[in-house]
Amino acid sequence: MHIIVCMKQVPDPEGPRDAFEINQSSGMVEPRGIPPVLSLFDENALEMALRIKDVSPGGAKISVLSIGKRISNAVMLKALAAGADELVKVEDGSLEAGLLDSFATAHVLAAVINKLPYDLIIVGRQAADFNDGQVGIGLGHLLDRPVVTLAQAVVVRDGDIRIERVLANGYEVVKAPIPAVIVASNEVGELRYPTMIQRREAKQKPVHTWGLKDIGLATLPSARLRRKRIYAPELKLRQCRILGGTPAEAGRNLVLQLKEDRMI
Amino acid sequence: MLGLLPEYSRRHKSEVLMPTEKNILVFLETERGALHPLAAEVLRAGKQVAQELKGELAVALIGGATISDTVDHVRQYGVDRVYVVEHPLLESYHGEYFCRALGEVCRTETPTVILMANTLIGSDLAPRLAWDLEAGLISDCVDIEMSNGEIAFIKPIYSGNVMAVYVPLTTPALITLRPRAFAPLSASDIPYGEIIPLSITLSQESDRTTVEEWIEEDSDDIKLGSAQRIVAGGRGIGKTEGFELLKSMADALGAAIGASRPPCDLGWISPKTQIGQTGEIVAPELYIAVGISGSTQHLAGMLGSKTIVAINKDSQANIFKVADYGVVGNYEEVVPVITETLREIIT
Repeated sequence: MHIIVCMKQVPDPEGPRDAFEINQSSGMVEPRGIPPVLSLFDENALEMALRIKDVSPGGAKISVLSIGKRISNAVMLKALAAGADELVKVEDGSLEAGLLDSFATAHVLAAVINKLPYDLIIVGRQAADFNDGQVGIGLGHLLDRPVVTLAQAVVVRDGDIRIERVLANGYEVVKAPIPAVIVASNEVGELRYPTMIQRREAKQKPVHTWGLKDIGLATLPSARLRRKRIYAPELKLRQCRILGGTPAEAGRNLVLQLKEDRMI
Repeated sequence: MLGLLPEYSRRHKSEVLMPTEKNILVFLETERGALHPLAAEVLRAGKQVAQELKGELAVALIGGATISDTVDHVRQYGVDRVYVVEHPLLESYHGEYFCRALGEVCRTETPTVILMANTLIGSDLAPRLAWDLEAGLISDCVDIEMSNGEIAFIKPIYSGNVMAVYVPLTTPALITLRPRAFAPLSASDIPYGEIIPLSITLSQESDRTTVEEWIEEDSDDIKLGSAQRIVAGGRGIGKTEGFELLKSMADALGAAIGASRPPCDLGWISPKTQIGQTGEIVAPELYIAVGISGSTQHLAGMLGSKTIVAINKDSQANIFKVADYGVVGNYEEVVPVITETLREIIT
């Protein structure tokens, strides 16, 4: 079983608002003083792959694939320490996150994946920076593989996979042939926490660095969207009315106030 | 009003569309023969775009035998055309089949812009269709900007810290709309819209995906997406049992129960209740945040709420900056009193 997990580095979404500085002339966001992190959604994807590996009788190999202008090994180390077996990164000046749309991203990823053996490709629901949520389905389209989105759990059995796919009022069990593309949902949960020993060992794991030429991609597909401009949203701070008294009195006062203001 | 003029030209579907026409197609979800509650919001956005582009508005309804039950409801919103695609395999949502069905409507209607809600279904269907039609897709839009006939769509990026204005470069262009970002359109008294049934050939294919079973969970609970009131707990709740207190308060209020990310990651409550950038984005009338500090990622999911109440023992917590009402105190002392008082005044 060979699993490819696509992961993106993004500026820490938990960073303070003013860390997302807007450069009006370039139309790009320039993060200030916040480190890059693995996109949380991609951490869900890796966790899903690790759970498959945990129960695979013959074991499973997990390759983490990342593309970008420059990819920090220090950030990717977290994925290797958590249990991924190797890192494949494709770096090129043209692969800057703010310039690539989902279509270009999927094309680049598909070109790399075509060079790798795989049974499953797992991606996150969306990237934590641009939230487009189109790359997983794009990979299925470009590689001609079935795609199952909103996956909260996967079981591999007899050459097929069964996926628990999230619905509004529960989930459905979807059967798909292998190879397939799975889009992990946030319901998968947090990426496991590596031990100190795993962290140390992760530094010895193979890292392959390729350029666009190595994957046989001379040009990127033309954009399907144009970003006209970006701006900082108006921060709607509200005047908070603090209800006084002991906690119990304040609780009671809150309800009475909400009632008086016709909120309930 | 668009669509209400009796002399408005009706056109047979096989007629070739003039290239100058800029028609808008909206895909509306249905549930058991009824329109999805978000349909009126998608229709509002659709009308807005149609009016600006001076085009017509068409609706796609896709489903099983009960789908035709929704047609009259759609026509009450006064649209130009309603496409109805009915097939047993479309009884419940299946990405590959729905994409084929909607693709069929697009080939007939040749729309300039296709709109749908960014729901569990829309987030699967829109990218599938975009790749099939080689169309650009702008997802999770919260606003529309129009100037000189150029239409742009605005969406939050970087967990809501930045807004981006996008112009599609393809025809058609696909747009998904964030729930609760657009005011619902009101239905009119005069139903209007030509009904166009489209037939489609579908068969189960072994090389693709098949749904083997449906598992229904917590069907009594109020769904976050449609809730008018939400009670949400954060890391400050501290344990699984703490959510029982919140549940009692939510029940007394007729509210849905939600959570920020930590309680979901820590297993105190189902991950399906997660509200925020990495969970569901909600905008109820009343949002009560308990033991939630107010991280960027959580705020991104609930700032659209009309009234926000914060209950937190830390008076400096970020959540108070975005709240309308606040109680500083330990939730275990505050929440039971709220529940009790609610029961007193509501009954």
